[in-house]
Amino acid sequence: MSLAGRALARRAWRDARVRVVAFGYLFLIYAYVQPVGYRHAYPSLADRAAFARSFGGNTAIRLFYGQPHDLLSIGGYCAWRVSGTLTIAAAAFGLLASVRALRTEEDAGRAELVLAGALGRTAAYRSSLAAIGAGIAVLWVAELAGSLAGGLALGDSAYMALATVSVAFVCAGIGALACQLAPTRRVALDIGGAAVGLLFVLRVVADTAGGAGWLRWATPLGWAEELRPFAGARPLVLVLPVLAGVLLLGLAWRIALRRDIGTGLLRERDSAPARPGLLSSPTRQALRGERSSLAVWLVSVGAFAFILGTISSSVSAVGVSKKIQQEIARLGVGSILTPVGYLSFVFLFFVLAISLFACAQLSAARREEAEGRLETLLALPATRGAWLGGRLLLAGAAAVILSLAAGLFAWVGAASQGQSIALSRMLEAGANCLPAALLFLALAALAFALLPRAASGIAYTLVVLAFLWQLVGSLLGAPRWLVDLTPFQHIGLVPAQALRTGSAVVMLGIAALAAACALAVFRRRDILGQ
Amino acid sequence: MTQHRAEDRSGESREEQVLAIRTQALSKRYGEVVALASLDLQVARGEVYGYLGPNGAGKTTTLRLLLGLHRPSSGSAALFGLDCWRDPLAAHRRVAYVAGEPALWPSLTAEETLDFLARLHGGSDAAYTRELVRRFQLDGSRRLRAMSKGNRQKVSLIAALATRAELLLLDEPTSGLDPLMEVAFRECIKEAQDRGQTVFLSSHILSEVEALCDRVGILRAGRLVDEGSLQELRHLSAQIVEVTFAGASPALGPLPGVHAQSAGPHAMRYEVSGAIGPLIAALAAHPVTALSSREPSLEEIFLHHYDGSKES
Repeated sequence: MSLAGRALARRAWRDARVRVVAFGYLFLIYAYVQPVGYRHAYPSLADRAAFARSFGGNTAIRLFYGQPHDLLSIGGYCAWRVSGTLTIAAAAFGLLASVRALRTEEDAGRAELVLAGALGRTAAYRSSLAAIGAGIAVLWVAELAGSLAGGLALGDSAYMALATVSVAFVCAGIGALACQLAPTRRVALDIGGAAVGLLFVLRVVADTAGGAGWLRWATPLGWAEELRPFAGARPLVLVLPVLAGVLLLGLAWRIALRRDIGTGLLRERDSAPARPGLLSSPTRQALRGERSSLAVWLVSVGAFAFILGTISSSVSAVGVSKKIQQEIARLGVGSILTPVGYLSFVFLFFVLAISLFACAQLSAARREEAEGRLETLLALPATRGAWLGGRLLLAGAAAVILSLAAGLFAWVGAASQGQSIALSRMLEAGANCLPAALLFLALAALAFALLPRAASGIAYTLVVLAFLWQLVGSLLGAPRWLVDLTPFQHIGLVPAQALRTGSAVVMLGIAALAAACALAVFRRRDILGQ
Repeated sequence: MTQHRAEDRSGESREEQVLAIRTQALSKRYGEVVALASLDLQVARGEVYGYLGPNGAGKTTTLRLLLGLHRPSSGSAALFGLDCWRDPLAAHRRVAYVAGEPALWPSLTAEETLDFLARLHGGSDAAYTRELVRRFQLDGSRRLRAMSKGNRQKVSLIAALATRAELLLLDEPTSGLDPLMEVAFRECIKEAQDRGQTVFLSSHILSEVEALCDRVGILRAGRLVDEGSLQELRHLSAQIVEVTFAGASPALGPLPGVHAQSAGPHAMRYEVSGAIGPLIAALAAHPVTALSSREPSLEEIFLHHYDGSKES
């Protein structure tokens, strides 16, 4: 690589390092916690056998962790738990990293500067890929280190981590191609996100619906499962992600050579007749700007809820002994052996999704400030309180709609399979997502008021940490009060259980307080650019 | 607006009638960096005030403080007697602002942007907007995303001018405009002045300030180093006398307040501060073929202030 190429790669790496480090910690800690937790929770072989019988075949669990191949060994368990979760994180990382390196710079106009210099398009592309590759390598090392620290063997751990990051590689290719197709960074993220979401749904269907196992071969998330670390490894399968990644990146490179800088193959019209709707206040205009993203969220949440509703009918306790059912209940995931119990469990993931949506809304508000448009607004007779309050109301209202849509479409899916769950109960399950999501929204707003430049990172980290802590905190045998710190611990498993009104009121109370503080602090601080 | 006037204390209401902008010991620090040090500024209503300074002198900081976007570290700023930080909304109803780097919404068209900004301001003159769009040759159906910086700057300018606000705060408003549009801009500012609007023009384009402004303030490293009408600034600076001789330039010997410089084999350039008489008397003894005297340009005044700028 030339001197200029190396300089550019270093620049791209510096841009990405905060995200790389955050994901690296996630991989490290998660890979470490699983073997330790497994030994702690299932010390004897008998425990493990009982666990394998109960969980191995459970649709609800397989939905998120994929298909287990061997649950009697620590390695097999980790391959299932670690890979299942971290491949999804790896997919998100690959997409975000490649859009950041290949498109964000271009939209900011800096790519022109680079290409006007002594660097050709191929060299610039290669430099960006080098930075993405370095990020993926860091994740590989992080997962490997976590597994080793957890007491797993070196060779198998390295192979397992390779299986995980293979997904990041393919998704980086998807992102790279999306960057060539889309006219802007934002559309590239939408296209890439839709593609990755589809690949996830394919894996979910493959792992849960009877007779659809072959679909696993249609998605990189399925390939990672078929690599089968710790359970009869099949390294030949690696050919698939390598081939797919190389093809996607190669295709993106071909297009990048020919394309006009700042545009994509899909053109957006540069002129349009004026449409005066939604321009009478900053909040309405924000809705106008966010509506395509809101629509994407609504369709994704609705479709996913529908699929889960449909799958729920196939969950049953037939053939599972009483003792094992008690075991499952003891693990705190409720009665996931009935359709209702299953839906209650999966709705925890809607809490996560809608909380992440809240973070995305706050990020959009921060971008408005960082890019100077908030200054334009506040130089007009618009108050800071009305602006931030309006954005929060907008995000809150959208969260309400998404939550209820999740409940509604899960009900439609379940009803289509002849399940008899009351619509009102499913809407309640949807509404059950709200207290935590609004709490995270308000905390994100507080971060935005106090530390605008770091707010996005803080908000997302808070949600992801709280969620993971709920998953692993009790497994590790952490003290009760420490486990109770995460809001996810206080969410009732609706519709199997009643909505925990007390917890909901407390969360909403804290949310209101945080939002009020955010507004008060925001009124007093400087408006900050990038 | 009238409500606010009624609410003001009587001491402020007189000031409000005369002054559009007033800052008192206004200072802003960002961490260790002093962006603005004890600025005392008074801009009368109807005045066109040129705010000069090189990049990083504190011009944009001043505007952000005047708009209540940043909070003063100490001191205060008021527009029409209304405190910029405590009461920004009332002030903003009477103000229109053009940022140096126009930050607008990429997905909106020019027409939608003008509509949006007009509504947020509480209305604007629709006929005047159309006229400005025509004068600045703006394509209203184009999305901001597809526009050059100059064209985005035009959108921002038209939105501000169309409000007919009492005070125009302009932060290097012509930095992306071509010479034709620069002419259109100057016409608009002159019209605004004729209508009695106040204009605060932050700029480093000296010819523009010289052509438009009644009074000029020169900012250096966060401090106002000079202020006054162009006339006053010129009086304080040296007068330039350029002389061509029939033969070789003579040496006139030392004269008080005169700084001589060679301007060619037969020409000299004298900077005179104070009385010009002694120089004329000394020249009378020599074969002068041409003599011109002129006041220093704003550029020369400006550069004079920055000659020793490294010292601070």
